[in-house]
Amino acid sequence: MLSRLVLVSGHILKNSGSFGACLVQASRSFHQSSQSRAPVPPLPEKGGKVRHGIFPEELFTLLYPKTGVTGPYMLGTGLLLYMLSKEIYVINHETFAAASIGVVIIYGVKKFGPSVAAFADKINEDKVAEAQEVKDQAMASLAQGIEDEKKEQWRVEGRCMLFDAKRNNVAMLLETNYRERLHMVTNEVKKRLDYQVELQNLHRRMEQEHMVNWVEQSVIKSITPQQVQGIWSLH
Amino acid sequence: MAGRRAAVKTIDWLAFAERVPPNQRAMFNSLKTRSDSVAAKLASLPQKPAPINWSYYRSVVAKAGMVDEFEKKFAELTVPEPVDTQTTKIDSQEQEASKTAAAYLEASKARIAEYENELEKFRNMIPFDQMTIEDLNNTFPETKLDKAKHPYWPHKPIADL
Repeated sequence: MLSRLVLVSGHILKNSGSFGACLVQASRSFHQSSQSRAPVPPLPEKGGKVRHGIFPEELFTLLYPKTGVTGPYMLGTGLLLYMLSKEIYVINHETFAAASIGVVIIYGVKKFGPSVAAFADKINEDKVAEAQEVKDQAMASLAQGIEDEKKEQWRVEGRCMLFDAKRNNVAMLLETNYRERLHMVTNEVKKRLDYQVELQNLHRRMEQEHMVNWVEQSVIKSITPQQVQGIWSLH
Repeated sequence: MAGRRAAVKTIDWLAFAERVPPNQRAMFNSLKTRSDSVAAKLASLPQKPAPINWSYYRSVVAKAGMVDEFEKKFAELTVPEPVDTQTTKIDSQEQEASKTAAAYLEASKARIAEYENELEKFRNMIPFDQMTIEDLNNTFPETKLDKAKHPYWPHKPIADL
């Protein structure tokens, strides 16, 4: 990742938030003293302020008390004229080539600078966001794991209910069995007594019927023929 | 009738159901149905059998003394209570379950401690904006590029890019 202190486009980068987001390949191999163990302070968000793209703001601030607002401009103009008049800087073919190239470069940067900046920033932010997402997911799953473990512990506490249920079942089964036995005893005794009663009734009935039959038979037998004639003659 | 009244504790089946983990639901359901059937059977039987109307039988049965004899023997009769063989087994099962539960709790606590440690590590991490590559390699050792195995850039197999 390149550092973002590009001189020309310094003031064009509106979204320079990734100054701090750069992963700088800062190697500590030069620092031998123990102070280098301190954590690296984060990089500043934006580069130093510049005016007109190349002149740092500190120059203007420096000259302001003595020469006011126009001081640095006068200094610049004076220097330029000095160099031209004394031919310290000679105007030749290269001058026009430099001027044309300069114009094109400035135009290109002014037009395409922001979009390129945004693109580069986006790449960086995507990486950071991915890492952040991994971290968030890991934290969430760990928290969830802790919650689940606590829930399982709570569940384990309820194990005595199972054994209570089992003991209840056993007690109920025993009770049922006991009651069944009681009922069986009563029913058996009742059956025996009822049998006796029924037997007696049967005897009575049989005796009755037999007696009735016998009486009928004897009556029929005792109806002698003369009585039969006597009855017929009455009519 | 001493010792017969083993207390039947009321079980809160709803609370019990909450504590059952999902993979043991089927066992819980079968246990519940069995318990319910046993309880229903118990409820259907009256506690004491209907008393025998001795005076009626005494008046009806002609044989002298038979009813009296029956009555005497019936009053003397005690029905033996069914023997409880299972409760000790259940108690021993409960002891074992307590032991395994304690072991599980220990393991669970160890796991929670591990998770807590990792969570602390994540919480104390510096934000990604302020990390250097060294910091990143220290925090996540898997991001370290193996310069010995792949000496030329990009220090990892092309397929991994």
